[in-house]
Amino acid sequence: MAESREFLTASAERCHDPYLRCAFYGAAQTALGVTGCCVIAHSPQGCYLLVNAAFGWQDADYTETMILSTKLCEDEIVHGGEELLARTILEAKELGVPILFVLSSCGPEIVGDDIIAVCEDMRPQVDFEIVPIECAGFRGDQNEGTDIALDAMLKKLVVMNGEKVPGSVCLIAPHANSNPTWMGDLAWVKGIINQMGAKVSATLTHNTALSEFQDVASAEGCIVLSHDAGQKAADYLARQFGIEQFCKGIPLPVGFTNTRRWLAELGRRLGAQDIAERLAAEGEKMVVEQCRRKGLEQFFMHRAPAAIVADATVGIPLLHFITEDLEMIPRLLCLRSCLPGVKEILETELKELNLSPKVVYNADVYQSKLALGEVKPEVVFGSNIERHAVEELDIPFVSRLVNPISRFRSINREYFGYVGMLNIIECIHNDWLDRSRSKKRSYKARW
Amino acid sequence: MDDSRIAFKGTLQQLLEKVEKGEMIPKLQASHAPPCKFWTAFQVINGIRHMAPVIHGPKGCTFSVANAYKMNSCEYRGVPLEPTSCTAQDEADVVYGGEGKLLEAVKEADYRYHPELIVIFSCCCSGIIGDDVETIAQKVEREVNAKVLAIRSEGFGGDFRSGYEDAFRVIMDLMEPPTEKMAKTINIIGARQGPTYTEWTQDLDEIERMVYAIGAKINGILCGGCTLEQIRQARSVELNASWCYDWGQKLGDLMEERFGIPYARTGLPYGLKATEEWLMGVAIPLGLEKQARDMIRQETGELTEEIDTIRRFFDGKTALVEITEFPGPIRALALARMAEEFGAHPIVVNIHPYTIKERMPSIKFLLKQGQNPEVILTKGLFSLGTFRSSWETEAELEMIAAQYDNAIYLGSPLRQPGVTQVNLTTMTGYPHFGYSGIRNIARLIQSSMEHASRPRSKLFREVLYGS
Repeated sequence: MAESREFLTASAERCHDPYLRCAFYGAAQTALGVTGCCVIAHSPQGCYLLVNAAFGWQDADYTETMILSTKLCEDEIVHGGEELLARTILEAKELGVPILFVLSSCGPEIVGDDIIAVCEDMRPQVDFEIVPIECAGFRGDQNEGTDIALDAMLKKLVVMNGEKVPGSVCLIAPHANSNPTWMGDLAWVKGIINQMGAKVSATLTHNTALSEFQDVASAEGCIVLSHDAGQKAADYLARQFGIEQFCKGIPLPVGFTNTRRWLAELGRRLGAQDIAERLAAEGEKMVVEQCRRKGLEQFFMHRAPAAIVADATVGIPLLHFITEDLEMIPRLLCLRSCLPGVKEILETELKELNLSPKVVYNADVYQSKLALGEVKPEVVFGSNIERHAVEELDIPFVSRLVNPISRFRSINREYFGYVGMLNIIECIHNDWLDRSRSKKRSYKARW
Repeated sequence: MDDSRIAFKGTLQQLLEKVEKGEMIPKLQASHAPPCKFWTAFQVINGIRHMAPVIHGPKGCTFSVANAYKMNSCEYRGVPLEPTSCTAQDEADVVYGGEGKLLEAVKEADYRYHPELIVIFSCCCSGIIGDDVETIAQKVEREVNAKVLAIRSEGFGGDFRSGYEDAFRVIMDLMEPPTEKMAKTINIIGARQGPTYTEWTQDLDEIERMVYAIGAKINGILCGGCTLEQIRQARSVELNASWCYDWGQKLGDLMEERFGIPYARTGLPYGLKATEEWLMGVAIPLGLEKQARDMIRQETGELTEEIDTIRRFFDGKTALVEITEFPGPIRALALARMAEEFGAHPIVVNIHPYTIKERMPSIKFLLKQGQNPEVILTKGLFSLGTFRSSWETEAELEMIAAQYDNAIYLGSPLRQPGVTQVNLTTMTGYPHFGYSGIRNIARLIQSSMEHASRPRSKLFREVLYGS
């Protein structure tokens, strides 16, 4: 019998301790996924640091991708910064980039700088494409910024140019994923698509060549790789170019059930059911064998009350994984976002798993800490923020899976698919080992 | 030397004169952006314990400083993550104003976090639309338990330095009139965040060690993890001294002017002379001159071997101190002074005119003290784009180093100038300040001399500058 469940709405409207950055940052992340581009932050110099952070999130290479700022000061806020932007665009000519994105921050948007007009004026004077993106921080959080930037890019760069290419797929918003090495998830999806005999026509965005935008319209299908952003882009592609969305309405592939279901659905859409079945069978066998050989610590997991504090992209799929595969009981779910379609996915998941955890949508740090204190789970899947938050709550164990994790990763580790399961298990085990080291010094060693 | 790559060659004084005339500063400084005023104001206030910020702005500004400063400082201090809250301004707030929301947010922060101090920061949005954060702070303070301050810190409102200075100015309002003087006690001022990567804890440990060794005490490190109580009592001390002269200077001057507390004006304690100056700058006003002289004699005497190593290394050399990839021009100027003290001819390479402009009072102070090293600026310094600037200035540094048959390089391992180089970056975990610093610098120098002929890493080079 399911326990009663409380769906909290955001109550932190006045005093908010956010997990997410603003729209400007999300737009910068999206723009910086285009290879060899230049991004101009039409902003004061502080916002440049957000673009810098976005640069890191996209694994951009500083030998290829450039970021600049117009460094707006009081003069430009009073008199307008359009002239400064125009000069900066002209200066960027010497960088030899194929495309330039102009991102406007809060200041210039409030004072009314028309970046679209400036970009149009400058276009004949430069030999690169210019895409203006009006993405002031006050327009929303970083996920909304991703949607704003995708919208601007698709409208500016994608045109209908010929026939549909059978078996071609466009991938959307892979970077709206709090796995710190989400590029691993993207690589896994691409590998699966290839194994099913299809091909990825464009990725929106990561390592995306400008030329890929020409292939977007001819894609047969698209997959949104996030439960936090990208749905609007998929809807636009469906409306404008008749591109079908694959794997819609189901959780992303984390854990046995979700991965099998996701593979089966994709296989069905690509006419590769047999391959999907084989991939699932082989993958499950590999995970079991690997855990048997390397070891799988089960003692602290079995029926342990657990909490997930994450974005929807990682958080919702984790439900099935930790409940079914790791035998835990989710008691709390704090999600950093709350898209309507994603709520439905979550409702279905909870029904299917017969779970009634407390759910907090659009959670901020304070709400999460409060909820953790109320629910008192034994295990928390979250970030370094939760590692701090539980210190005074007598909650014994936090596994750091989602950004920020305060752990360096040089290799892109996916959470999707079967190796992804092992990666998550590895994180859990390592955090478990760290946890066993006492912070109290009982006595001094003699050597 | 290929003069076509040289943008300036002269003394620090001559460079300063050019900057004062408005020369050398690029009109369009599109890259090389330091943080904005909001970030730097937050950085200072973040160094106060049990302080809850209420950032009157969107989420982006908030999470960014929480991630960049709050998390690190909490980990460093060994406390659980403290809050970084905001009003999460949206389009409606921008159109209709957000003062009411701010007022409620402050009350909520007081109720939730039980802070001793709440500081309201304005951002670009609230600044442009004219939300009056100062009046809100005054009004709401009557309704909450915490002390409430406000800083007008909108990002466009000034350079990064102004954020530090305004934050230091605002915390002076917390300083209470002294009931009695705290004898032989000082404040260490000019700290931020607690610590930053240019002011790190090992240097502070050495400063504390030296202060206590001469019989003085420290009230607080403002604002490097200090308490509100320490700020309140800050006027009771006999003297202010700085951790970093540059950041301490404004607060030191203001406290002297407003409260009559003398400020020990000394540079960074790198090397023997500067360390002695720093110590005497503290000891003489406190009447501890004898204790300080005894300490200097004793500690210097224990460092004979190390001093000999340093002198052998520097004597007769041309010491290139390169700034572009080095964290902190003031620290680099202190290194140049130390090199000169031990017999080298220092040349400071690529100290950005932008930096000179923003640090004008500190630079003038150093000049007044007699520091006027040769300066070379190269064209790469003014290139558009940080990467291009980085590899161009590396090539130019190599070119400059090749012109001398006796050049050594002090600075960052990010550079590969092809001459003996000492890694004097600020992330090595050992102090550079004071007598412990001399010991460590001698060790670094010894290692760099012994391994000077080893090739530099291809991996490092290609990661930094491309294939």
